[in-house]
Amino acid sequence: MLPNPVSGARPAEEAPFTTVIAASGRQMLAAANPAAAAKGITAGMPLADALSFLPGLATRPAELAEDAAALRRLAEWCDRYSPWAAPDGSDGVKIEITGSAHLWGGEAELAADLSQRLARQGISHRLAIADTFGAAWAVARFAASEEEGSPSRCRLAALAAKIIVPLGEARAALAPLPVAALRLDPAIVEGLHRVGLRRVGEAMAMPRDALTRRFGETVARRLDQALGEPPEPLSPLGEVPSRRVRLSLPEPIADPADLARAAERLTLDLVSRLAREGAGARRLDLGFHRVDGRVEHIRIGTARPSRDPAHLAKLLTGKLDTVDPGLGIEDVILAAFAVEKLAPEQIDMTGAAGVSTGAAPLFDRIGARLGLDALARLEPRESHIPERASVAAPISAKPNKQPPTPQKPPRPVRLFAPPEPVEAFWVLPDDPPFRFTWRHRTHRVAQADGPERVAEEWWQPDGQLVDGAGSPDAIRDYYRVEDASGRRFWLFRAGLPGDPPPRWFVHGVFA
Amino acid sequence: MSSVATLVALQDRIRRIERPGALRHGVLPFEVAAIDEALPGGGLALGAVHEFLGIGADEEDGAAVAGFAASIAGRIDNSFVIPGCPAGADPEAMNTDLGQDSADPRSWVPGSLAPLAPRNDNLVKARGRTGIILWCLKRGDLYAPGLAEHGLDPARIVRVIAPRDDGILWVLEEGLRTSNSPGGIAAVVGEIGRLPMVAGRRLQLAAERSGVTALLLRRWRNGAEAASERERPSAAVTRWRIAAIPSLPGPELNNEPGIGTPRWRVELLRCRGAEAAQVTWDVEVADASGLVSIPAGLADRPAAPRRLAAEPGLRRAAG
Repeated sequence: MLPNPVSGARPAEEAPFTTVIAASGRQMLAAANPAAAAKGITAGMPLADALSFLPGLATRPAELAEDAAALRRLAEWCDRYSPWAAPDGSDGVKIEITGSAHLWGGEAELAADLSQRLARQGISHRLAIADTFGAAWAVARFAASEEEGSPSRCRLAALAAKIIVPLGEARAALAPLPVAALRLDPAIVEGLHRVGLRRVGEAMAMPRDALTRRFGETVARRLDQALGEPPEPLSPLGEVPSRRVRLSLPEPIADPADLARAAERLTLDLVSRLAREGAGARRLDLGFHRVDGRVEHIRIGTARPSRDPAHLAKLLTGKLDTVDPGLGIEDVILAAFAVEKLAPEQIDMTGAAGVSTGAAPLFDRIGARLGLDALARLEPRESHIPERASVAAPISAKPNKQPPTPQKPPRPVRLFAPPEPVEAFWVLPDDPPFRFTWRHRTHRVAQADGPERVAEEWWQPDGQLVDGAGSPDAIRDYYRVEDASGRRFWLFRAGLPGDPPPRWFVHGVFA
Repeated sequence: MSSVATLVALQDRIRRIERPGALRHGVLPFEVAAIDEALPGGGLALGAVHEFLGIGADEEDGAAVAGFAASIAGRIDNSFVIPGCPAGADPEAMNTDLGQDSADPRSWVPGSLAPLAPRNDNLVKARGRTGIILWCLKRGDLYAPGLAEHGLDPARIVRVIAPRDDGILWVLEEGLRTSNSPGGIAAVVGEIGRLPMVAGRRLQLAAERSGVTALLLRRWRNGAEAASERERPSAAVTRWRIAAIPSLPGPELNNEPGIGTPRWRVELLRCRGAEAAQVTWDVEVADASGLVSIPAGLADRPAAPRRLAAEPGLRRAAG
């Protein structure tokens, strides 16, 4: 884990430079660069004091939101080392590298690689590796020194000795550090200093209950966390993938054909892994890590779990034109998020009416372009309310066998949601209208059938009838009317016949 | 081989050269002699693009065309499609060497499998039909129970909502590229406003190659689009106009005339390869079996009672 200065990717300036923030009515310094720190100016000082030390101090307003966003981007970029990466506070990134250090040939090499790439991006940093998060935090901020250039091989050993805390030696590494390294409040640190505890080693030697009685239980908890007894989980920035394959490129690539080839190669790797486990992927995320630290993502989803490499590669490469490679891509990472069991396929001679393998790739392609919720099955439901009698179910859900619904009077082929209000004229309150006006056209009714009464389904929690205006109705009387030209409409009167005034709507048109 | 058989095979080969794509995948008859006679092959060509227009205010809602398309799509069945076997092909021709391009993989199907090629039997019709119907539209106002009344099983429908015409054309083309195997796509239905000629031609080629039928319902939102699109020449094999006409008087209720048998005016505007065009029929709306019918009797014959949707359900269960 490593802290980095708040100004993001700008290289360390030669002149003293600080950022200023307004806090509690005064201008305070939010951060100072090393040149300023060398002159004795630290963050948290009031601006007036700093200017009295150094009259020519260059200042800028602190942009905390942009800094937080830049830190998030950096944490996303650190995804190339491990999916468990997250920003830590306002100036650090924590990465869980258990299980991924061997991909670089060891922790020292991983640290060197990280240091080198950060230096190339112009981020000055301090980093440390330890077996507990608390120990790494402490060593990074209080023990490690800043590394400017890329460490050569001969300096690697020296670097490793300084920043990598070997397994089990967290206690020894923490002992000489000041108590502020325990992530405590300044007030508690002050209190510890007053009783003469300046080093972590001294605090560790004191009996725990004495510390708890005097300073509260934070101190004891931080000590335990630094030594690893209660594990401190890291919540990663994004969703943690269940399978991940990575392709690191020696030279950055930018050509779309090369990107496509990289995607295909990764798809083959992932598919071979999935095939060994008998699983198929539902959601894939392809991340392109650019040399300047940004990450571009392509996300696809499938309706059914799939491990067909040609199909998945085609879905991914179809969206390649949304990726801007910038100056070049140096890493490509393919992560599978939703992985489900997928048995080996049987070829079926008589296909059922469900989604079979024949049409599933087509639905995936349509879903990649229009979104998977553009596809729906129209499933019947047991309901008297017409708009609830047929619902759109997502394509990936299993089609459930519905019992045959009881016979109903004829239904229209087009149903308007919401029903459109019309102005209707009738002779008797119970009768269908003899004339009605809809969409500025008048229709004279030649023949009519009805009424069919539909009442609200009070036994369902959402069984209310709602008309176009949103007000609930208790009753709808449906009429099938045919006008003089032959078009057949489905009208209903909302409310009871005696209600003044009755409201009429057109709900659908028959074929 | 006798000279007569040779002659027949040669004529078939010439016919196939003259019209390479037509009728390759068989036809779907309407079971109404008047309509079937007007169509080449005796029915609606499968594996082709057909266009349906509305009239008047129905150009906006597209209700009559939806019902007619549903009645056709509901009867398209993939159960007996063998991928690679051209539907409706003459079984004799499949046994001979003549008339086949040997590079065409379809020619390897031996003659013994010919009886399994789709035929228009009652047996085929009574079984449950398979194959997905992909229905693409811009507004989500399709109501499945209504389509079921015209013969289209709602369990077969997959509805795709795309915001623009080019999205719908893309979905149609992708659907037409899928093979029409029993678990795949039987037909695609698209509700399109603007259809450029080039796009129509591409759809037709894709349909011929795969055997999936495309039904295009023309639905327009404003007068300008309608005026420009109505007259545009199209690449579809047939072009129809469907209008709803007053139904025959039904049973009276409280001395008020009720709606009897609903009817359509079906007009065949254009048909590729047919002699007569602009033929009109007044038919009774397709019922749950998906078949339209022309009443044989005269006007003063009492209207036949409507077949309820319950009966075909029973037939399906028994068959």
